[in-house]
Amino acid sequence: MDKKFLLSYLNDSLALYEETLWHELGGIAGAKGDMVGVSFIRSQNIIGNTTEDIIGNCIKAIVKNGIAEEIKYVLGGKGICLKLRVKGCCHLPAATKVKNDGIKPYMCPIVNMIVDRLIEQLGYETAYVADLEVDEGSKQCQLICAIYENIDKIGQVSDWTKIPNP
Amino acid sequence: MGDILDVITTRRSIRRYKTDLVPDELIDKILEAARWAPTGENYQPWRFIVVRNPEIIKKIGTLGKIITGSWATADYSLGRIQERFAKIEDPVRREEVLKVMYTGQVSEFPGKAPLIIAVIGDLKPPSADVAYDLCAALENICLEAHSLDLGACWVHAPAANIRRANKLKELLKIPTGIGDYKLMAIVAIGWTDGPRQHPRPKKSLSELVYWEEFGNTRRP
Repeated sequence: MDKKFLLSYLNDSLALYEETLWHELGGIAGAKGDMVGVSFIRSQNIIGNTTEDIIGNCIKAIVKNGIAEEIKYVLGGKGICLKLRVKGCCHLPAATKVKNDGIKPYMCPIVNMIVDRLIEQLGYETAYVADLEVDEGSKQCQLICAIYENIDKIGQVSDWTKIPNP
Repeated sequence: MGDILDVITTRRSIRRYKTDLVPDELIDKILEAARWAPTGENYQPWRFIVVRNPEIIKKIGTLGKIITGSWATADYSLGRIQERFAKIEDPVRREEVLKVMYTGQVSEFPGKAPLIIAVIGDLKPPSADVAYDLCAALENICLEAHSLDLGACWVHAPAANIRRANKLKELLKIPTGIGDYKLMAIVAIGWTDGPRQHPRPKKSLSELVYWEEFGNTRRP
């Protein structure tokens, strides 16, 4: 089967599920889709002892397997704010469809993968995807994800608007 | 038949409780009210886990704190939730309220309740309207608790995402298979410790009701 056709078919299906979940739940849908994509990263041997190691090794595995062409990140805000720029993601057509159908995209398998490894391997407490902006023109997404190493990080606020985009 | 509108309109989400225990006979009445909620296909998917162990209750409060604090810390740091509370004119008071949000304290209060009821639903076939049935049961719990002069608050935060819900399921020994049980929410219940300080205003019916078709606000 033609790979392009197959990817298009799968992205259409993914988008429809994302839209349906939003239709059912509204804004809380974002909290429900945080496991989408993690099966892949769990099949990879991601190792590392630091946040940067894990994020870097996740990015390597994702890019090497052709899920995205390029991923850059910046970590700031007392180590809580993870800003990501994902270029050439194979799921971009799904996010674009959701956006064009009038729903702000909220589900990103890439960030889900990174968060999954931070939680499962480094014992991070939790995470929250705070923003996902899709730019179909430049074929990239900008994400802001809050990652909490431990419970004491909850409530450690700072100005994230000053953290540069990657 | 009695009109229950007074019960409905005087109910508030109560988040401060006295330490006194809730007697068994009142718990039974609350559960009985839950059992009589409407349910699609009469499936009655609900199961109710009554929690009175203070250690477990405290842990449930912490789960709620983590979920709410995680999004509120981010939204505060991005300058978003400040807008929501802009109508609080006193800047000191506003910052106090915001801190309750971003530290997650706003969802930690169940940890100080003498009683929590976790509402879960059996998802196995031929389940139908599980989530909707569970919400009806949750509402009945809140109304019956209020009618018994108890304070109650429906809290979704500890069940908001799959990972967090699984932590609560493990705590309460609920099967964690994705097709087993839906953990819908918890209700914190106790004797009200003083009146609610800041009742939230309700929209008027004229803002909410359309007649015969969407958008038509004029009653025929």
